Amino acid sequence: MSTNRIKSSYNSWKAAFVFLFPFMLLYGFFTIYPLFNGFIMSFHTGRFGIGEEFVGLANYIKMFSDKHFYGALLNTLFFVAISTPLIVVFGLLFAVISNSRFKGANFVKIATFLPYVLSISVITSVWVYIFKPHIGLLNNVLMNIGLISEQIMWFDNSLFAWTTITVATLWWTIGFNMIILIAGLQDIPHSLYEASSIDGANRLQQFLFITLPSLSGVLKMVILLQVIASFKLFGQPWLMTGGGPGNSTTPMVQYIYETGFRDWNSGYASTLSYMLLFIMVIVAMIYNRLTKEKEV
Amino acid sequence: MTNTIKVKKVVVTLLIILIGLTMLLPILWMLIASFKVYETDVTTLHGLFGTSFTVDNFKKIVETSKIWRWTFNSFFIATVQSLVGILLASLAAFALSVIDFKGKKLVYFIILAGLMIPVEALVIPLFKIIIDLQWVNTYKGLILPGLAMPLAVIIFKQFYDSIPRELIEAASMDGASIYWVWYKIFLPLSGNTTSALLIFLFIQSWNNFLWPLLIGTDSSLMTLTVALPVFQSTFSTDVTMPMTANLFASVPAIIVFLIFQKQIVKGIAMTGIK
Repeated sequence: MSTNRIKSSYNSWKAAFVFLFPFMLLYGFFTIYPLFNGFIMSFHTGRFGIGEEFVGLANYIKMFSDKHFYGALLNTLFFVAISTPLIVVFGLLFAVISNSRFKGANFVKIATFLPYVLSISVITSVWVYIFKPHIGLLNNVLMNIGLISEQIMWFDNSLFAWTTITVATLWWTIGFNMIILIAGLQDIPHSLYEASSIDGANRLQQFLFITLPSLSGVLKMVILLQVIASFKLFGQPWLMTGGGPGNSTTPMVQYIYETGFRDWNSGYASTLSYMLLFIMVIVAMIYNRLTKEKEV
Repeated sequence: MTNTIKVKKVVVTLLIILIGLTMLLPILWMLIASFKVYETDVTTLHGLFGTSFTVDNFKKIVETSKIWRWTFNSFFIATVQSLVGILLASLAAFALSVIDFKGKKLVYFIILAGLMIPVEALVIPLFKIIIDLQWVNTYKGLILPGLAMPLAVIIFKQFYDSIPRELIEAASMDGASIYWVWYKIFLPLSGNTTSALLIFLFIQSWNNFLWPLLIGTDSSLMTLTVALPVFQSTFSTDVTMPMTANLFASVPAIIVFLIFQKQIVKGIAMTGIK
């Protein structure tokens, strides 16, 4: 790249420093440093600097016998397993509808995408008031049309509580995934469809043998983004169910939050954070390995 | 034959519109409920359409809460974070794309690794920094930790890599400085990418929840996302006031969405590039 026609000052250390310094300063201070400091904190007890004491592996040993940790981890994995396929399938469905030539396709696209720009507090609030017994929309509509005879307590049963969280999340994030998938759909050459219809392929065959394989790269990306997003679940249960009933909808991030900012146990909360990070990196690596082998 | 095709088309179109309306339903419900008299039953058709409309809820919220302040906070933080964040990312990406220097691969790797580190896994040590600096309940504490965004650097770098090197050579022969090359060539050429990314980051920041929940605990430093649930928890039997607050908080986002729909779509599509 450094031809003679480019001034040597262009490739100087000084120039690189000037351009990189502002970003790297903040990145170093607010990402790299806490990444290492969090690791150190995970071997200590204490309340954010007060009464900090080195305890070796005690936090890690505690974690592996902490039933709340396993509970929160299982809840998070449960949500990843439930929400990812639903969001990808619905995202794809809405992408195909929005990308079709039918009238109203653009309307579906806008209607599906709009919730994504609303803040998490708004979407959780709207859905809480939809599901809320007695004053909420859903129960009363179901009662008025005679489908149920008494109020369903959506937030008193863990499966129902997960349903409310999942529905709100789907409604909020399908649009985001739909947009990425639409971009993927539009990259598929039209000639593929034309050639296949000459060969007598029907719509379903076209979808299965042209659309899906052509989208595999984008789908891989969407699934990974979704898995990562689901691992970070916090706001929806925090605002909708409070993690309840009991701890049945408490995910990892909420357990970290409560350990750190309710119990003020910064050491143990760091240990839990590291575990979450570790699991996410491992899952992403396994995922990349698996999807790579498939491509070969 | 043509008739059955026509009927099919009408049915499919109706079905599509029905799907779109279903997705919109929660927003429409929020919209109508906001304009209803306090404690109206908004779960029946009669309650929603057969009773009078009013803007009293909006007046009450503006008078009794700090909602303008919260809106300002959300706006201010999202604007600064997206603008400054974009600037930092653009500068860093320029160095990684154009300048040859020792250790470039390492720097790039360190930034790339940041993509894998969610803020959720860093909140504990990050919060400790903010305590040590005594930045709890300050704009500094709310804004600065979120400024360096690896994803923005990667997206910019990908775009900068596609800009023809002849432009740099030409500028060099004209005696221009490297700073001029960034400012007068790369920055203007990346206008579309910049605006798409800007809107995307604005929405992300506008929707941030966990960090402002920790740092902006004083009611005058709360963002809308943090303050809304607190405000709404004071109403136990009424739906109209919470919905009014929701609508109030959504209007700026919806306006941004309607004006910048194309940029938002482009911004999201870019995050899918790999």
